[in-house]
Amino acid sequence: MAQQLDQRLRAEARLARGALLATIALGLLAGLVVIAEAILLARIVDRAAFHGAGLQRLTPELALLGVLFLLRAGLSWAAEMTGFHASAAVRSALRRGLVTRLLRSGPVHAASEQSGDVAGTVMQGVESLDPYLARYLPQLALVALVPLAIFAAVFRLDWISGTVLLVSGPLIPFFMVLVGSQAEAVNRRQWRELLRMGAHFLDAVQGLTTLKLFGRARAEIALVGRIADDYRRTTMESLRIAFLTSAVLEFFSSLSIALVAVLFGTRLLHGRIDFYPAFLVLLLVPEFFLPLRNLATHYHARLSALAAAGRIFEVLDAKPPRRAGVLTAPEAPIALSCRGLSVAYAPGRPVLCGIDCDIPAGRMTALVGPSGAGKSTLAAALLGFVLPSQGRVMVNGTTPLDHIAPEEWWRRLAYVPQAPRLFSGTIASNLRLARPDADLPALRRAAAEAGALSFIEALPRGFDTELGEGGAGLSGGQVQRLALARAFLKDAPLLILDEATANLDLETEAELVAAIARLAAGRTAVVIAHRLATIEAAGQILVLEQGRVAEAGTHRALAAAGGVYAGMLGAAQGVAFRGLACAS
Amino acid sequence: MRELIRLLRLYRPYGLWMAGGVALGLATMLANFGLLALAGWFLASAAAVGLAGYAAQNAFNFFTPAAGVRFFATVRVLARYASRLVDHEATFRQVAALRVFLFARLVPLAPLGLVDRGGDLLGRLVADVERLSDFYPRVLVPVLVAAIASLAMALTFGLIAPAAGLALYLLLLLAGVAVPLIGLGAAAKPGRKIVALEAGLRADVVDTVQGMADLLTYGAAPAMAARIEGRDAALIAGQRRMRSIAASGAAASTLLANVAMAAMLLIGIPLLRAGLVSGPELALFVLGALGAFEAVAPLSQALPLLAPIRESTRRVFEIADRPAPVRDPGASPPRPGRLDLELRGIRLCYNAADKPERIWALNGLDLSIPQGSRMMLLGRSGAGKTSIANLLLRFAEYQEGSALLGGIELHDIRGDDVRSLFTVVSQRTFLFHGTIRDNLLLARPGATDPMLWQALEAAQLAAFVRAAPEGLDTQVGEAGARISGGEARRVALARAVLRDTPWLILDEPTEGLDPVTAAALRGALEAVMAGRTVLWITHRLEAISEADRVAVLEAGRVVESGILGVLRNSGRYLPRLLQLQQGLAHL
Repeated sequence: MAQQLDQRLRAEARLARGALLATIALGLLAGLVVIAEAILLARIVDRAAFHGAGLQRLTPELALLGVLFLLRAGLSWAAEMTGFHASAAVRSALRRGLVTRLLRSGPVHAASEQSGDVAGTVMQGVESLDPYLARYLPQLALVALVPLAIFAAVFRLDWISGTVLLVSGPLIPFFMVLVGSQAEAVNRRQWRELLRMGAHFLDAVQGLTTLKLFGRARAEIALVGRIADDYRRTTMESLRIAFLTSAVLEFFSSLSIALVAVLFGTRLLHGRIDFYPAFLVLLLVPEFFLPLRNLATHYHARLSALAAAGRIFEVLDAKPPRRAGVLTAPEAPIALSCRGLSVAYAPGRPVLCGIDCDIPAGRMTALVGPSGAGKSTLAAALLGFVLPSQGRVMVNGTTPLDHIAPEEWWRRLAYVPQAPRLFSGTIASNLRLARPDADLPALRRAAAEAGALSFIEALPRGFDTELGEGGAGLSGGQVQRLALARAFLKDAPLLILDEATANLDLETEAELVAAIARLAAGRTAVVIAHRLATIEAAGQILVLEQGRVAEAGTHRALAAAGGVYAGMLGAAQGVAFRGLACAS
Repeated sequence: MRELIRLLRLYRPYGLWMAGGVALGLATMLANFGLLALAGWFLASAAAVGLAGYAAQNAFNFFTPAAGVRFFATVRVLARYASRLVDHEATFRQVAALRVFLFARLVPLAPLGLVDRGGDLLGRLVADVERLSDFYPRVLVPVLVAAIASLAMALTFGLIAPAAGLALYLLLLLAGVAVPLIGLGAAAKPGRKIVALEAGLRADVVDTVQGMADLLTYGAAPAMAARIEGRDAALIAGQRRMRSIAASGAAASTLLANVAMAAMLLIGIPLLRAGLVSGPELALFVLGALGAFEAVAPLSQALPLLAPIRESTRRVFEIADRPAPVRDPGASPPRPGRLDLELRGIRLCYNAADKPERIWALNGLDLSIPQGSRMMLLGRSGAGKTSIANLLLRFAEYQEGSALLGGIELHDIRGDDVRSLFTVVSQRTFLFHGTIRDNLLLARPGATDPMLWQALEAAQLAAFVRAAPEGLDTQVGEAGARISGGEARRVALARAVLRDTPWLILDEPTEGLDPVTAAALRGALEAVMAGRTVLWITHRLEAISEADRVAVLEAGRVVESGILGVLRNSGRYLPRLLQLQQGLAHL
């Protein structure tokens, strides 16, 4: 799994191939500069300590050393920047791809469970790829190249030290794999447990009111401490193994330095070798292990990048509904009809099965039925948010909906969802979404029709009031009214509306019902209706049950028919109004 | 700094672990330094002896420095391994201590003391606590280790040649303190800009996901996609600036480490010529300087953490120090036989400290509910219905009037004792991450399985639980995400059955449920209400009998109350509400 994601990410990184190669080349160059620096340093120390050279005689070497120092600093800066460049290019491309794909898949898919926290994936998910792309990938190449160069240099100087590196170098990856495969499993478990420990605290804090209501809050204090302690114990157990990975690396690098020093020591002591190569090798040995140590520090970055990549590719790989429509939408009035319309989100599990119905132009059709009956899915199909698995939606009896370009279709309709979204910006800019060139009188008219004008004008800044994210600061009823005002402003021939049921008081509900009736008047309207007043006003009621049209007709006809609708009516009245009948 | 000192005081019980972590970190650094310095000195000495001939070779003590090299190498490996373990041990203990401290402080505050205008206070609090756990391992340890190790290493050099020691110390200071601080200063403004850019981009992305239907149908999707692309480009540009600053800092640190080696040569070589320093000591300087800079390398990452950690610490203590909204008396009087409720002239506000600006949520409220009766509380949002529940549950303090429960003033009873008389079923049922059994046992620890099943039967949830393969041990998911809203509400009902308190408060228990589910839930509620005093808060008149009481609330006071059967015809408010409600029946 991790390997597949690694490969996939590397394939994505090919987009920034030039910058990545440049990063690797710069890193390699920096490695070579380090070797040159070591050669110069060793020469200077050797000549000063053993050949009596003073600063004056060493000036050229010292000057060159200074140049190399600057060069190395410059190279390390440049490598960081090219790495960033690569990462930025890939991240931007992925983010753009994600947004495009989400918009093409439509709101039904974006809200579905499998897409999870989509916004988080687009934001933090993409961001967490940065260390992987900018540092880990180049380091992966350098870990093979730089030690090789250093090994070659050391081997030429002294084959014994070369042999020490030759033995310890490959042993490190071997031991790391041996310990690491175990450590990785341990590590992942430990992360999960850490997460769980964090989750318990969050859970307890968020549920504090409930705990207090049950008189369990004080007991929970001790529990918070005990759970943290338990996790500490199990986690420390696994960390003891997990930290061995880096200890192995540390062990070999320390051992090699010590071994090289001691081996040189005996030979130097007996005059069998010069100081210069010995000192040079000693300078180079720590650099031999440096790339590996750097790579190890990116280990967690890689894990979180892979986790994020999994979610990113899940979104990117989701098949969007294909839309072939190119036709323009017909002029008003618009009538709709469904013929054998079936929709299935998962194969073999249809939500709508064979819907046949007519939605006449210029009148309101109410969709009614228990939750899960398919009302929202039918609306989504009429909106073109989902494609039928069978059958089709016809516009004005002649044009199949899926032959019309979606943007064209959406231009002809106004949609008010159950939870409409207000965007950050002013109230005016939110309304102008419907008609960018609308002037203030037009805004006021639309707001008045929606019953929103009085509360907007009561705000100190009126239409110029800045709204928080998602309309923060407004009540549910106010958000609904602004969404209706937006639809009034659009003045489209077709209206599709999902009546809100959330937390509104009776007065507000009554005002919204009246506004909806005004909005629907004279248009083709499809309303997912929950309130009796709205339903009664509809020219036609479609009663859905388990993905089929159970009944269709007017309120009066259906109430008299004694079918599903009459049953719902009776249930609602019986429960909520026991005793009301005798009063009225 | 005061807040960090307070934080450390909180960690005092783990002082030994923390000191151990620092000591081991120091040992690691010094061993690394010692290994390189000694190895350099050893090689040069051996070479010098090798050149000097046979006699010197015999006189040279080979074994002590060779053992020293091996000693440092071993210490470096072991100390590093041990320091990581001890650091983690100390950190985990601190996290536990901090959580316990904070949770104990939060208990008296919840829920009304934990409300902020900014929104998600609890989520931010948990994130802040998470960030505080970085303070010890990622700031305190590296800073202390770097400070002590730098001094020790410079002193070692200074013993041989004071100028070399001084030069090393100054360069370490530059690399460890000056470079990170300059970088921090340079990054401050672009850093703030990035935070704003990220927030803007995130808001756009959230808007796109949650408002996609609106964007698509209003033809605004391409404009939004373009806006996101533009913000992304701006963010990348800002990040490039930050990266450039960080990369410059890293390059400067590398350069300074190199400069230190060069400085050792420039200082050492004249001293060598003057006979004040030996050849081996020059080698020691050069290699030692190389090792010394490892001690200050982590500082460039540690110092930028300091400001956000201080900010988080400040926020955490600000919340921990909040005064509790309700003060508890030391002990409660004995429980009276009857639990009639009598509210007289109650005035309650949530900003009592803010005297001139007081906004009264309850403003002269009179209400009495005799034991065993049912009272339905009607009113628009904001009329003060929930404030009555807050008052009864001792979540909010009343400033004026008298609230007698069984003849005892409410503020003379301890909050926990008051709450033990009430069970609340509301639209916000919080389910803990765990099994259905866990969530039920909360209401009655030690309840047997038959008792749990009986409660589930009463709440009409038994069939659902029986059908689940894991039965009572079915996981409800995080915050109850794995079961539906209707089922969660039934779990709350089952809890109410198990708890069996004399009072029941229903706060819009069917809100947000579809009509069929809501109707079924009302049926289950009947069983739970039996034999208890019920306060039902709602904005729609629910199924109650003609004999029950109704009170209509407006602007924090009762404007109409009485028996439903009487008021429905003769009342001033109720007939209109009923009329309105008839058309608004939910289907």
